[in-house]
Amino acid sequence: MSKNEKMNVMQARDIQRLSAGQRIVRGGVKAGTYLFLFVMALIVLFPFYWMIISSLKTLAEYRQAIPTFWPKQIMFSNYSEAFTTANLGDLFMNTLYVGIVSTLLSLVITVLSAFAFARLEFKGKETMFGALLATMMIPGELFTITNYLTINHLGWMHTFTALIVPFLVSVFYIYLLRQNFMQIPNELYLAAKVDGTSDLKYLWKVMIPLALPTLISITILKMMGAWNSYIWPKLVANDSAHQLITNGLRNAFTDTSGQANYPVQMAAVAIVSAPLFLVFLFLRKYIMSGVSRSGIKG
Amino acid sequence: MKVVLQNLTKIFPSRDKKSGKEVVAVNDFTFEIPDGKLIGLLGPSGCGKSTTLYMISGLQKPTSGKIFFGDDDVTELSTENRGIGLVFQNYALYPHMTVKQNILFPLQNLKGADKLSKEEMLERAYNAAKLVQIDELMDRKPSELSGGQQQRVAIARALVKMPRVLLLDEPLSNLDARLRLQTREEIRRIQKETGITTVFVTHDQEEAMSISDMIVVMKLGVVQQTGKPQEVYDDPTNLFVAKFLGTPPINVFNGSVKGGKVYIGQDAVLEVTNVADQDVLIGIRPEGFELCDDGALCCTLNNVEVMGRDVSVVSTNEASVNPVIRSIIDADNKVDLASGVVRYNIKPHKLFLFNKETEERVYFEVK
Amino acid sequence: MVDNKQQWKAWLYLSPAIVLLLVFTVWPIFNTLRMAFLNGYGSLGEMGGATFEFGIDNFLNVIEYKNFLQCLKNTVILCVATVPISTILALLIAVALNSIKPLQKTLQTIFFLPYVTNSIAIGMVFAAMFNIVGLKGNGVAETWGIVNNVIQFFGGEPINWINAGSPYWANMTVMIIYIVWNALPFKILVLLGGLQSINKQYYDAAKVDGTPRRRVFTKITVPLLSPMIAYVVITGFIGGFKEYSSIVGIFGDKMGPANDAGRLNTMVGFVYDAMAKDRQGRASAAALILFAIILVVTLINNQVSKKRVHY
Repeated sequence: MSKNEKMNVMQARDIQRLSAGQRIVRGGVKAGTYLFLFVMALIVLFPFYWMIISSLKTLAEYRQAIPTFWPKQIMFSNYSEAFTTANLGDLFMNTLYVGIVSTLLSLVITVLSAFAFARLEFKGKETMFGALLATMMIPGELFTITNYLTINHLGWMHTFTALIVPFLVSVFYIYLLRQNFMQIPNELYLAAKVDGTSDLKYLWKVMIPLALPTLISITILKMMGAWNSYIWPKLVANDSAHQLITNGLRNAFTDTSGQANYPVQMAAVAIVSAPLFLVFLFLRKYIMSGVSRSGIKG
Repeated sequence: MKVVLQNLTKIFPSRDKKSGKEVVAVNDFTFEIPDGKLIGLLGPSGCGKSTTLYMISGLQKPTSGKIFFGDDDVTELSTENRGIGLVFQNYALYPHMTVKQNILFPLQNLKGADKLSKEEMLERAYNAAKLVQIDELMDRKPSELSGGQQQRVAIARALVKMPRVLLLDEPLSNLDARLRLQTREEIRRIQKETGITTVFVTHDQEEAMSISDMIVVMKLGVVQQTGKPQEVYDDPTNLFVAKFLGTPPINVFNGSVKGGKVYIGQDAVLEVTNVADQDVLIGIRPEGFELCDDGALCCTLNNVEVMGRDVSVVSTNEASVNPVIRSIIDADNKVDLASGVVRYNIKPHKLFLFNKETEERVYFEVK
Repeated sequence: MVDNKQQWKAWLYLSPAIVLLLVFTVWPIFNTLRMAFLNGYGSLGEMGGATFEFGIDNFLNVIEYKNFLQCLKNTVILCVATVPISTILALLIAVALNSIKPLQKTLQTIFFLPYVTNSIAIGMVFAAMFNIVGLKGNGVAETWGIVNNVIQFFGGEPINWINAGSPYWANMTVMIIYIVWNALPFKILVLLGGLQSINKQYYDAAKVDGTPRRRVFTKITVPLLSPMIAYVVITGFIGGFKEYSSIVGIFGDKMGPANDAGRLNTMVGFVYDAMAKDRQGRASAAALILFAIILVVTLINNQVSKKRVHY
């Protein structure tokens, strides 16, 4: 052992001399890390920056061969022009209506189903739940074809109903909430039963408050879904009375290349993006926790 | 390799920014760990023993003070250059590697002149595994091992690079009672065989006493006493150390010294000299009681617990600080439960006096 | 023993979900299968009293359709390019983020921003950045677009990215950049979460053993993170095969540059086109093929993960 020890001591001395060099390397790595992150952050942010400054330029300034990175003349009028051109006011109201109604109904359905799966005993519970989860595997496009026909048969074409009803049940949200409910100890439920509390009262007074973060996540994601949905509304309700914001935006500015009036277009995009950013700013925690569990956009 | 800790202090900035209160985890710790010994750092949780260990390892930097390995000042040296082996409380075995890969891992990091050939690495890995008797398990994953086996792998991984100092953080706390007994013998054996200076941290005084060459008792970042386990047990410097060592714990009484006699209540239990009259706290080890029909200390008898070789007599006395007094006596002595009273004589070397305010030891001579 | 009262209560609570699922999820599964295997099925035809034979014509039709092969090619290229790029970039960013203390929260928020966007809306911003205004036959332009400006600044030649006459590879490059930009936030979020849940003691143990930085990354971080990596790769592939609206964002409904509409169409786009033409049989067959591809890719991924994902 003593020989080994001697070897080790020598080794330690050698490395000790190196450690000043190591410190420099370590400092370099830190600086490199920050540099990498800053460059990536700039790339990530650039489209937002470009959107905002472009939306404030005059068309002439935007079309200059040499780009300006700050508008010479700030054109807030682009925003009012965008608002009227794309009829954004109506689109906002339509989207808000669809978003709020579908979120509320969806929450009720999700809470009731999750409660049944988490707390009640009934025949075929496991089979049912397994079947539900299995449907998550199937891409939504497969349902769209038939649902389009169904909506047609039901005479729901060009109505808000067509935008709301087919997406009220989300298996994923039921799953998420059920997991959350399961973490609440069953003793609480039994205690409530002993006290003669009804199911719905228990749900309202105990489970919902305890699962509030998940419910808030679901609400936000659902609202974002209405805000971002494009394909389905385009199929079933693309008339001006029922159009949602994304479709309206896309339809108002069909031209994305060539001679498009970009400042106004960018102003419209900024207006449409703003509510999302505001929601994100205030409810970041809920969005991030909901998203990291879902893996599905919107 | 001896390890010297010189005025070692670690202050953590307060977590609560408003109050700005700092936490002194370790305060002015000076101690020399002799070469090739097994040292137990002992204390209740939050006493700074783990922080001390992490400072020796280099994972935490001391706020002030110095650490020497032999004659080398390693205070500024980073962890990887200290040549230590560290066994973590929950072992920190890489879950995705087999036992063999785990043990080989430190060797594969060696660079330059220290670089080993594949064969040498394997040989050393197998030697380390044999030492801790896990050479049969080399191809298993950590999740397929019992707690005790994982512990051995962790030790093998720490030993394989032949560290100058081996550090163990609560090495037995995750094991069940039987394994704990077995593993602590094992640690003792491995340490003896390798002769590596070893420091381990524990909150279990029995564990520390049973295998350490020396123990260091800590409380709130301050070293209370250091020494051989038996010496510390027999000669505690203050009430904290006396209370912390020994199971069942020491019995503590309110009492006084008056005219050369130690009183518990009205009972004069011992004649002493060289000590001024004062109120004191009196500590008596459970084995310090002798049954005697005309004994000096009279207590109300509650219960007798038979433990085989010994019996534990549970009694009460108004002057007792603890709710009950526990004494351990030979099973041959018959205790008459019906009488409701028990009388003891006290063995002088099992009785300690402590200052009532400072709780420091008050020394005396037996007359 | 199951309480009877609980039984009917459970079914009562589940009834809205069950009714909606039967109509909008279960029935479509059967109906899609039915339509896919009725040769040349169209719903208007069925309403008009036409009958369709059972067969696999729809599938043959789809595969023989030149357009479909183009869609499949586009989708596969986008998938194969964007998933590895975005996963590696996200991994690097997550590891970098995890290794710093000051500014970590701020940078994390910045990197999440692209997630809270509307992929159509921000697609229009990307289109603006790549667009050339006033490109004439003689190559004179009023503005080359900011991306080309940057290329020119570094001494390169401007490229016709998305305008009429633009080359296919340029279109694809734009799409890849946009999709990666869009895919980063979710991957960074998941990987950073995974990194933060790795027990710090593994790193302490590695430090005690003097493990070099690179080795810590390849031997400890990546293996311990492998379940999360597998997760983002699988969801990335699934998302990639369903790519559609990001292309609409940049190129509009034409799904291609002005002179070559449909050139960038994808599998999902193909399904919708067939629907719009009342060719539900063909649409269903294409959707089933899409489903099969996603299933196979997922299974392969799972199989690879089983070998590669540790513990």
